[in-house]
Amino acid sequence: MKNQKDIAKDIRRKALKKNWTMFKQSKLGMLGLYIVLFFLFLSLLQPFLFITGIWNKGVYDPVVGYSEQFQEFLVVECPKEYPTEKYKDRGDCPAKLEVNVRTLFYSDAQVGETIIQNLQPAPPSAKHILGTDSLGRDVFSQVMEGSQVAFLLGLLSATLGVGISTLLGTIAAFFGGRVDAYLMRQSDLILMLPTLPLLFIISAFAELKVWHLAVVLGTIGGLGGSVITIKSQALQVKVKPFVDSARITGGSRMNILFSHVLPNVAPLALLFMVFSVTGAIASESVLSFLGLLNIDMSWGLMIYLAQVEGFIFSGMKFWWLILPAGLSVTFLAGGFYLVGRGLDEVFNPRLRQR
Amino acid sequence: MYKYVFRRVYQLIIVFFLFLVTSYVLFDSIPGNAFQSLLLNPELPREAYDMVIQLYGLDKPLYERVILYIQNFFRGDFGYSYVHYPRTPIELIAERLPRTLMLFAMVNIVAFYTGFLIGKILAWRRGSKSETWITVTSVFSYTVFYPWFALMMLWFFGYKLDWLPIGKFLYPEKWYDSPYDSDVIFVSMIKFIAVASILQMLAFVYTRNIESISARRNVRFTSFMIIIIGSFMYWNTGEMLNQKIYAMDIAYHMILPVFTVTVVAFAGTALLTRTTMMEVMKDDFILTARAKGISQKRIRDRHAARNALLPVVTSFIFTIVTIIDGSVLTETIFSWPGMGQLILDSVLREDIPVAMASFSFIGVFALIAHFIADISYAYLDPRIRIQSQG
Repeated sequence: MKNQKDIAKDIRRKALKKNWTMFKQSKLGMLGLYIVLFFLFLSLLQPFLFITGIWNKGVYDPVVGYSEQFQEFLVVECPKEYPTEKYKDRGDCPAKLEVNVRTLFYSDAQVGETIIQNLQPAPPSAKHILGTDSLGRDVFSQVMEGSQVAFLLGLLSATLGVGISTLLGTIAAFFGGRVDAYLMRQSDLILMLPTLPLLFIISAFAELKVWHLAVVLGTIGGLGGSVITIKSQALQVKVKPFVDSARITGGSRMNILFSHVLPNVAPLALLFMVFSVTGAIASESVLSFLGLLNIDMSWGLMIYLAQVEGFIFSGMKFWWLILPAGLSVTFLAGGFYLVGRGLDEVFNPRLRQR
Repeated sequence: MYKYVFRRVYQLIIVFFLFLVTSYVLFDSIPGNAFQSLLLNPELPREAYDMVIQLYGLDKPLYERVILYIQNFFRGDFGYSYVHYPRTPIELIAERLPRTLMLFAMVNIVAFYTGFLIGKILAWRRGSKSETWITVTSVFSYTVFYPWFALMMLWFFGYKLDWLPIGKFLYPEKWYDSPYDSDVIFVSMIKFIAVASILQMLAFVYTRNIESISARRNVRFTSFMIIIIGSFMYWNTGEMLNQKIYAMDIAYHMILPVFTVTVVAFAGTALLTRTTMMEVMKDDFILTARAKGISQKRIRDRHAARNALLPVVTSFIFTIVTIIDGSVLTETIFSWPGMGQLILDSVLREDIPVAMASFSFIGVFALIAHFIADISYAYLDPRIRIQSQG
């Protein structure tokens, strides 16, 4: 015999299944989901590799690891005028596995000899899939660490923000009057504050760590424009017949708010959550790119390091320092965006194809 | 309608005072005060330090300082910059603002127009292969990590191909014996662009009612050519002839930032247009238009896109607020000395008066943009107009 709880569970499971089939129809949504899952896998893989001992912490640690890579170099002298037979322009000398005699301060090797030298940043090899940076740290491990940071920050700030905005939005719609007016003015105020300069100022008086930033971003996002949107959705739910019948059958205000209005606002809130992850990841990268964030390793910091060490303008010669971090930020943010778009087509009846 | 406007003004005034108080408290919570570095000087007696603190009212309780700040805000008195000493924050902002406006007015116009066109086509071709590819591209440029992308562009066009300059907004050697200040040129360029774009917009508005699509296109193309020829003549007469080479120099430095920001900025408009237009296309009047036998292009341009324009225009007005916000990164990377760089520098070097002034200035800017967005939305959307009356 089925009791009431089982029936409710059954209905919920069926609805979930239906939504999942609808989500599967959007190809781009699935692509986004795969991208997100791939990065989730990466961020979980690193601790696994460390715990099982496949990776030695001394070599592969993203912050303090060091990998020795010795290589034989040919000592050459760069010509004063270009082009010559061997080198077309100034950027070609010293070529691969060559070293300019003028930059050898620590050895008295002559032109034409070979010397053994540490090769950093080292190009990709079997040991280091994405090579190492100029301090001999594994880039692939850094990418993994960066994706941990991005997931932690994105999900924490999105959950916090959506929690705040859903609660405030439904309260504003449900109680109306002065509460509503106050909350709406507050949203106006938050919308007026320019986000990036505000974050600069906060970083000037408080040392920002990842979870501090997550709280700040979540609060700004949660008090801002999303309260207004969720309020308008909750206003539509509030006038539905089932809310009236719940009131007639004697449901308390809190009961109606939490078990009738909130679940009906939840899909929209989920949508906001997915979209705000994109913004949070981008903000973190921007702040660590500008060097305003107190953080050991992240994607933004990797690009910052590549820029201040001058590898950006060396072009594709050191591609493993430039491409992985930038593409990771782009792809993870894009993945979350595509998932959000797929969900939008599921939850928004006006966007459905049939 | 008037009642709505008045209520909105009243609310915004309250929000504005809240904003001033919040921004003061934010800056006040930065540890230490502006004159603490004086204490390190052993020649300076303690009394002198106390005197300075008293002179600037820093020994007063917080609420008195907040009131003082608000009073000074309305007098336009922000004190002096610490880093650029004899100059006031207002002077600095007045110098930097035209440069930012110049850059981002261009970007916004170009990005909005391309974004709207692409979004229109995207929604219309729903489900086709080209839609998927265009969507993937625009999602990529919407979510691309902007500083990284800008650096790559700088490397490719500025260094590898060596077509365009790397950073800065002019070649100093060209301006060495220039009779003009760079701001004069900026202001005349802004005036020129504003007039040209208003003329182009008027041409679009007045040709809206021409029925045949090909005739309309011809008229619009002719008007565009007339504006081009007119601007050519404008820059070759009188005083403008002298200003031309300097304006050309600035324009040459502007190409790369404008192109980069446009590539990133068009995608937001395109994706929003796509969503709103797909919602509109579900409506019954599109079906009616199809049943009447109107051509597909006409339905797309006159029925669907026209109705999808409203939320897009509103979001465009809101993006004006984010101009200065987003300009921080662009200006840092392309070393374009504008408002964004001013605010970042002043925060990093703890030049509090300048930081406060520019922060409040952005607030005022945002306030005005919000007001315009609200009013235009109420004016354009009859549902809000009626709701506010009842």
